[in-house]
Amino acid sequence: MAPSQATHVPNLDNLIKSLNSLPLEASIESLIFLLKRRQVTGDECAKATAHVLRQVVAKSKWNDVDQLLSRVQSAGSRLARAAPLEPVIGNIVRRVLGLIRDEASEDRNVDDLASEAASDIQSLAPSAPSPQKAAPAPVRPPPTVVSTGLQVSKSMFNLLSVAETGDTPVTGASTPLSQAQTASVHALRSEVMDGIEEILDEINQADDQIAGFADIQIHPGDYVLAYQPSRTVERFLVKAASKRRFTVIIAGLESRNHDAITEPPYAALRKRLNAAGVNTINLASNGLMAYIPRVNKVIFGAKAVYQNGGLLVDSGCCIAAQAAHEYLKPVIVLCPVYKFCPEDPSDEVSRGELGNPSSYVSYADGPEVDALEVENTVTDYIPPELVDVYLTNLGPQTQHHLASILADHYKTEDITLGLALQLGEP
Amino acid sequence: MGVAAIESLIEVLRATPSSTAMETVEVVRKEKAKLLASTPNPLPLLAGADLFEQYLLRSLRGPTAEGSTGSSASDRVLSFEQTRQHLLDNKQLFAQRAKMARDNIALWGSRYVSDGRIVLTAGGSRTVTKILLRAAADPSKHFKVIYVVDGRNRRSDVAVAQLRAAGLEVETISPHKVAYVLANQKQINLVLVGTEVVMQNGGIISGMGTAQLAHLTKTVKGGIRRFYVAAETHKICRKTPIAYPMVNRVGVRQKDVSKFDNIGVDPAPDDAAALLAEQDEVDYTDPELIDGFITEQGVKMASAIWEMVDVYL
Repeated sequence: MAPSQATHVPNLDNLIKSLNSLPLEASIESLIFLLKRRQVTGDECAKATAHVLRQVVAKSKWNDVDQLLSRVQSAGSRLARAAPLEPVIGNIVRRVLGLIRDEASEDRNVDDLASEAASDIQSLAPSAPSPQKAAPAPVRPPPTVVSTGLQVSKSMFNLLSVAETGDTPVTGASTPLSQAQTASVHALRSEVMDGIEEILDEINQADDQIAGFADIQIHPGDYVLAYQPSRTVERFLVKAASKRRFTVIIAGLESRNHDAITEPPYAALRKRLNAAGVNTINLASNGLMAYIPRVNKVIFGAKAVYQNGGLLVDSGCCIAAQAAHEYLKPVIVLCPVYKFCPEDPSDEVSRGELGNPSSYVSYADGPEVDALEVENTVTDYIPPELVDVYLTNLGPQTQHHLASILADHYKTEDITLGLALQLGEP
Repeated sequence: MGVAAIESLIEVLRATPSSTAMETVEVVRKEKAKLLASTPNPLPLLAGADLFEQYLLRSLRGPTAEGSTGSSASDRVLSFEQTRQHLLDNKQLFAQRAKMARDNIALWGSRYVSDGRIVLTAGGSRTVTKILLRAAADPSKHFKVIYVVDGRNRRSDVAVAQLRAAGLEVETISPHKVAYVLANQKQINLVLVGTEVVMQNGGIISGMGTAQLAHLTKTVKGGIRRFYVAAETHKICRKTPIAYPMVNRVGVRQKDVSKFDNIGVDPAPDDAAALLAEQDEVDYTDPELIDGFITEQGVKMASAIWEMVDVYL
């Protein structure tokens, strides 16, 4: 949900369009500018980050994988620092780093297998798996350690394992492969860019994929409370409306009153739902709790999901979640996989971000501005106990299975990207 | 303790003349049972011994059985004879790795210590001390520590001394003050403990008072507080406590307080020898009370412990 922007202000669409013509540094800087002014928020952060990182891979100078990783890391942490309360940026950076590592290790394995065949060094080792077998589960060198010095492994047997994990300061990516390397830089560049393209596709399709689960989650005759429906939630409801007859209660209208109210809030959504034969009810803020007993489920979108299952959401959602929890109504959170952060929430997250209060007090009203201190928190933290279902684009999940999603999408060595940030704590 | 069990089993292996694989495994099993019977609280030993035994057995299953997980070089499956030789040769290395695991935990854990806040801890765990020392070394973090000491646990006195020597401000409180301090000291945002063993279900069996601390952290109102457990992955024990009295049912020999007759009565002197001394008694903390485990492989939720065991054993 980008706030409405005047035409003279640079915006994301223009930036993305002009990315190809801008020099790399300028495009990073202008995205940082947009992020700092909060002109790019929420879902758009992810898209913008992926676009800019694509430029980093395409335009910056690098000769081997290590250099590429550090370029992406530094650009990524600059972006992430520009908007510390948009964890999605960090997620996309991690995804791209993981992607580079995957591509690089695949390349290296091809070389490794060739050299293994030639030499007898590996005579003690179990026979190398055939290349065809290796394709789905690539044989990886001892996991890469970049800058943090963290030892990475996934086995309880680590203690007894054969390889000297962590003893040698070898970064897996720095294997000297002189001629092969130069040849593969080109291939790697295009492979990584394809990979980023795929991440972008995933971001674009996530909403539709989530909407695909709508008719499973929403049953005929349901009363669904949607708190401040985001674009993801809107699409979900509209999709459900094409299959089911139910009633939507829209709550959390108050924070949407921008300066120019030309039409009632969520008019477009309501029109589409009504056209599909679904009734909608707009709730004034104070009515929320009174309606909960009538409601069957509460749905909202998350800005980010943390490792422990806690959510970063637009402010107000916590009230809805808490109310639903009190009445034992299921809380369904729509969150594409790219919003899952492999971190725990910091103290700042639970405190919430303060936003522009001008929609509550007009600056034209001098005495009021002087006398009052108006705070407008724009984010909320929802503890994991209040959430029942995490509906991702890969299907519904419970809190206890988030760890496996995280393990599938991020490399352990990239999780500590947060260490590079100023936040310090997770 | 777990590593000590592994070391002693390696010595068993060394003393056993190499015969057939199954015979060797039988000898290891017999010695393991003897080892476990020798102490009233066998769980820490069991965790290490199980890991050792499974590692040995894995080689019998052969590389094909591990096809899905044994793909990385550090995790490849050797033949039985190679495994045996590898274990004999690298006794020192394992101890060193265990120490290194603690360093890694310190690295992960120090991120959870926040500037301007207070960490509440208890029990004298060396891992926790490492985490706090590491966090103290970070110039951007200024924090204080409240240590729960009961006057009998010497290890916590050592830990307090170490932390003070590093320049940290440490306040000690007695166990009956915990609820009061948690309720009134709003700066506490992290409760950090070590543990003797991590159970398969994500619960922990650790020094008496841990469960109380966990319960109070969850129930005393005011602010978001997290209860974290620092534990190396080789402390995971493949047992699930399900029936009361939890700790007795999983094999710890200590006074069974579920029997009414036992409450308030000292055990007979000849029984007492087989039971844990009162200052060494342990309790069970439910996984629901634990926000996360700080392991050398990153921070895991309690529910992830099960998966770690499941995949590799």
